[in-house]
Amino acid sequence: MKRTGIEIIVLDSLRVGYKTGKNAYPILPAISASSTGGELIAVIGRNGIGKSTMLRTIAGLQPSLGGQVILDGKSASDYSRIELARRIGYISTEVVRVSNMRVADLVALGRFPHTNWLGSIDHPGRMVIENSIARTGLTALRNRHVTELSDGERQKAMIARVLAQDTTLMIMDEPTAFLDIASKFEIVNLMLELTRDGKTIIFSTHDFNVALNQADKIWLILETGLIEGSPEDLLLAGAFEHLFESSVVKFNSGDGGFSMLTESKGEIFVKGGGIFRKWTEKAVSRAGYQVTDSMTNPYIQVPARSEEKWLLVMDGKTEGFSSIYELVRGLQK
Amino acid sequence: MFAAAPGEIELRRRKIVIFSLLTILLVFIFILDLLLGSVSIKPADIFRALFEGADSEVETIILKFRLPKALTALATGIALSLSGLQMQTLFRNPMAGPYVLGVSSGASLGVALVILGFSARFIPGNLQSLGNWALVVSAWIGAGAVMMLILFISSRIRDIMTILILGIMLASGISAIVSIMQYFSNETMLKAYVIWTMGSLGNLSSGQLKVLSATIAAGMILSLASVKMLNALLLGENYAASIGLNIKFSRIVIFACTSILAGSVTAFCGPIGFIGIAVPHIARNLFITSDHRTLVPGTILAGGVIMLASDIISQLPGSVNVLPVNSVTSLIGIPVVIWIILRNKKDKGSF
Repeated sequence: MKRTGIEIIVLDSLRVGYKTGKNAYPILPAISASSTGGELIAVIGRNGIGKSTMLRTIAGLQPSLGGQVILDGKSASDYSRIELARRIGYISTEVVRVSNMRVADLVALGRFPHTNWLGSIDHPGRMVIENSIARTGLTALRNRHVTELSDGERQKAMIARVLAQDTTLMIMDEPTAFLDIASKFEIVNLMLELTRDGKTIIFSTHDFNVALNQADKIWLILETGLIEGSPEDLLLAGAFEHLFESSVVKFNSGDGGFSMLTESKGEIFVKGGGIFRKWTEKAVSRAGYQVTDSMTNPYIQVPARSEEKWLLVMDGKTEGFSSIYELVRGLQK
Repeated sequence: MFAAAPGEIELRRRKIVIFSLLTILLVFIFILDLLLGSVSIKPADIFRALFEGADSEVETIILKFRLPKALTALATGIALSLSGLQMQTLFRNPMAGPYVLGVSSGASLGVALVILGFSARFIPGNLQSLGNWALVVSAWIGAGAVMMLILFISSRIRDIMTILILGIMLASGISAIVSIMQYFSNETMLKAYVIWTMGSLGNLSSGQLKVLSATIAAGMILSLASVKMLNALLLGENYAASIGLNIKFSRIVIFACTSILAGSVTAFCGPIGFIGIAVPHIARNLFITSDHRTLVPGTILAGGVIMLASDIISQLPGSVNVLPVNSVTSLIGIPVVIWIILRNKKDKGSF
């Protein structure tokens, strides 16, 4: 299955793993995948399955054990080191800590494959650097030392460095790993915007929601190999169920969420409507009750406004609770 | 909260000012080194000695003693500082330097093997005739072997303090081996070796000075040619490879360069400590940059200035006594090392 032509990148029966001496230790079956470019591709799979190894192999930092990576119709092994660096940028979770290195200096290092032996940067190169800094929103921080950046700012600076490298492909190993929620969405949003500008970004993540909601395509890595497709295609094919084969958690293909597998404490009917009903149902099902559509004894009457009380009706007797928390505690008694 | 780092224009202006100041200082201190010593000489006599050849006594002192010594100090300062800078970047370790990591010890083992180890053909009395190149090459090999060992260790252990301790262990181990060799060597060999270990800038023959100058010049050219590699290596080997650096090739170039620089100096002047670790930090803080296009020439100038200053201090101007130059450089360098350790505790892992 050798496809060439419009694909930016093709993994053709690629085998990844480690070599010691003459022995090769592949950690995954041969994998095949492709991208036509301009898309955000999320690589997901359980911990330790080999996501990082695969990304390092694609980036050319580690030799493959078989098969090939095809870039713009040509095998990656036919490119020189510099030609490869002009096509693929790489960001891992490794943090660059160098004293006296400013954001602008870090970004300028992205020009490495485009400069002469001294590394001097010409005027167009300088423009590329400034544009990369502006594109990632770091203009105000361009003279800040990299050791003084927050985690989110540092990740943006690393992205700016790869932008200055001017590659079509960006490989990112867990770009949102250490970030707080706000920074995480900022970075993911930036990545998404960059793909709309024509970049192809392949990133690994443990954040299933990001992969499901933001990625154009998912490369799902399982013990049996790689499955690719849009998140929705994979959802409908039931592919994620294999990913979360676990006794305590269940993946819900209906809403793309997870639920804990707990023993049911019985059925309960929640009467009422709107957002109050929705969250009340969520709370009681977390407490181990199965929400049902038919009347039960006891049942719950949810309020229409927050000033009113939640009512637990059992054998005709009614008990009022002023919050969902108290209701659930009362129910458990 | 943070002191804003200087901008482009400010940094460039700073660079020009500091380069000019360092160059002037280097010239000034070089002349001062010629002037000061046990015999006081007037500046006018120096120029006469250099260009006209007037007073024969002054001419002898200047041309035969002080000028070679000043040139040796200059070459030594440049070589040790440059090798320190390259090692710090290669190992991404602010504490790296030829002396603390045992590279100078490795070089001295090479020298010991030549002076103490081999046949009576190498009679220490005519150390100068035994082949300066044999001495230098054995020092290079010793230095290179230790570099390789340290690289092997630091690829497994990131913690800089651990590597530092291992470097000290390595140096102790080597000195133990040298002690055993001393035990089995004869008296004249021993004496030659002990004098060598004291470290001196003033005992070089003109032939040795030529070899030293040639190798240091080669090392300087190699360092200037590897600035782009050094800049890429600041990112660490993974990122450096991802932007197109040939890691193996650059490692070989930098290894060769540091081994030549540190090895040559150690071969002729003995182990001289703490210049290699301290000067690169002084250069970084003067220029406020991590760019080796500035740091390499900056380190060359600062290294020359500091070594010449150490030489002036060591000869205790106006007195007939001379201090071992190794003690002077240690007293200058150790406070810098302590400062790095303290800063590193606060600002973990950066250099």
